[in-house]
Amino acid sequence: MPTATPLDTTSLKVHSSPAPSGWRRVASRLSLPLLMGGGGTLIVAYLSIIVILPIAAMVSHGFSISIGTKGAWFEFWRWHVAFGFRTFWDAVTAVGARNAILLSLWLSLAVATINAVMGVAIAWVLVRDRFFGRTFLDSVIDLPFALPTIVAGVVLLAIYGPDSPIHVDLFETWMGLMLALLFVTLPFSVRSVQPVLASLDLDSEAAARTLGAGTVRTFVSVVLPSLWPSVLAGFGLAFARAIGEFGSISLIAGGIPRTTTASYYIFNLTSGFLWTDAAAVSTALLVISLIVLVSANVFSRRFQRRLL
Amino acid sequence: MSISLSHLTKHYGKTNAVNDVSAEIGHGSLTAILGPSGSGKSTLLKLISGLERPDEGTVVIDGDDVTKVDPRHRDIGFCFQHYAPFRHMNVAKNVAFGLKVRRRPAKEIDARVDELLALVKLEGKAKSYPSQLSGGERQRMALARALAIEPRVLLLDEPFGALDAVVRAELRHWLKELHGQIHVTTVLVTHDQQEAMEVADQLIVMRSGRVVQSGNPLSLYESPATDFVHEFLGPSTMFQGQVTRPHDLELVSVYQGTVKGRITSIVSLGFEAQVTVELSDGTTTWVQLSRNEISTMGLRVALLVGVRRREDDV
Repeated sequence: MPTATPLDTTSLKVHSSPAPSGWRRVASRLSLPLLMGGGGTLIVAYLSIIVILPIAAMVSHGFSISIGTKGAWFEFWRWHVAFGFRTFWDAVTAVGARNAILLSLWLSLAVATINAVMGVAIAWVLVRDRFFGRTFLDSVIDLPFALPTIVAGVVLLAIYGPDSPIHVDLFETWMGLMLALLFVTLPFSVRSVQPVLASLDLDSEAAARTLGAGTVRTFVSVVLPSLWPSVLAGFGLAFARAIGEFGSISLIAGGIPRTTTASYYIFNLTSGFLWTDAAAVSTALLVISLIVLVSANVFSRRFQRRLL
Repeated sequence: MSISLSHLTKHYGKTNAVNDVSAEIGHGSLTAILGPSGSGKSTLLKLISGLERPDEGTVVIDGDDVTKVDPRHRDIGFCFQHYAPFRHMNVAKNVAFGLKVRRRPAKEIDARVDELLALVKLEGKAKSYPSQLSGGERQRMALARALAIEPRVLLLDEPFGALDAVVRAELRHWLKELHGQIHVTTVLVTHDQQEAMEVADQLIVMRSGRVVQSGNPLSLYESPATDFVHEFLGPSTMFQGQVTRPHDLELVSVYQGTVKGRITSIVSLGFEAQVTVELSDGTTTWVQLSRNEISTMGLRVALLVGVRRREDDV
């Protein structure tokens, strides 16, 4: 190139590399973080194998038209490809399915709410009070995590079953189901609140006191607003766990329609090889859980933003 | 409102945080409790506020024995070292908190909040959240919140401790001005003697849980009761086995001085300079001189000089 004059702008233009345009720009933006970093690829692959693909398969199965599932035993190996919203809708709105989903829904909401309250109370005692056996109690909270949930069912049946030593028979009642769900979801409610409570600034409570606020007022106006995000997060987790819980309630539910939860209903369907219906009801549960989890997160963040 | 403390004692386990402290704090005064860390000054403030209960002794505010009264009924304003803001409330709601608890009518609360925000110069920040304020602004918000309930006594725990030097000096000046406007009896705790001397009209110097000396800043500076007070309240050095203010010493020719010595360093701090002298008796002292004195006397490191007290001259 002629570079006779130092102010030759045309030569400068030629030498400077042109900005990528069209699909190249888009591609470079999208692919760089994902594909250039091997870590990104690994994460995507991992999530695909253990979460995304199985769920996608289940959802697609729930929406498929299945001729094969009713009758010949070999048919449920068939790959279902056709889209059938009707199939899904019929499976989900069948009387048994509807009742089971409604039962699961209100039980889970109730359980998550009760444990949100009790979780704060227990976390409070663990963080603020010093008493003999506190460390022991702290470990006991995690027990439902460690125990196979079916064991929880056995334990509950032993004390609240037909042969109850204290003559409280909750076998085949919603109260029995609720008890089992309260048990398995307690760690979520306590553990999400506990660290936040432990990190609270005690001075702001003292400040409220010098300004004339009593214990209740201080808790409601100063402590609780700081706890909301974690309480909501715990609520979301407890709800999601409760609505999908099967092991601990399978024994106490007994198998009669009155105490058939959504998870139990799905179990019944799979026992009868009704895979498509099972996939459809599972998809409904998945959507409900997702809605509750996401909205709990959204509200939680909204509260959190002000606190930082 | 005057505060009278008598024989206050507070133990934590085996340590005596506050040990038999008696003091009188005058009505409308601005008193600083001054001491090194661990001297029990913060505990003393907490005892006055009621956030801690004394093991022994009494706290009397304005003639009422409040020793057993809960802090919520003591009518005190307390500002915490780290301001303790209510993070989920905006500035206006923070300031209004005490009034809301007292169930004042909404109109009155709004008017009072506006007035207070003007007083602490936070008019434009009513809708901001504490996280959006600077350290100095948070401190002023905490002050407005404490003042809202028209306390009989205002208590400040290390009010400028967490601020940088410039804001610190500014706020110090402002607090003194504010106290002149509202005349509420104020007690502040600090470990910074300069801060205490500048702001307070009364000093209570504490050491290991006891009051060492109290009085107005000048009298304490001029006639400290112990070497500890002497060293704590301003610059000090040893000369002939006595604690002395370095500006009370002077350098003269070798034959005029009480003690001979050799200059080991000259540190210039703008107008002043610190001249360190190794004395013939084996001790080291330092003398505070002006820049002028240094240049007219032609002082330099390694020079042999005489050191004496200034009043020797007169």
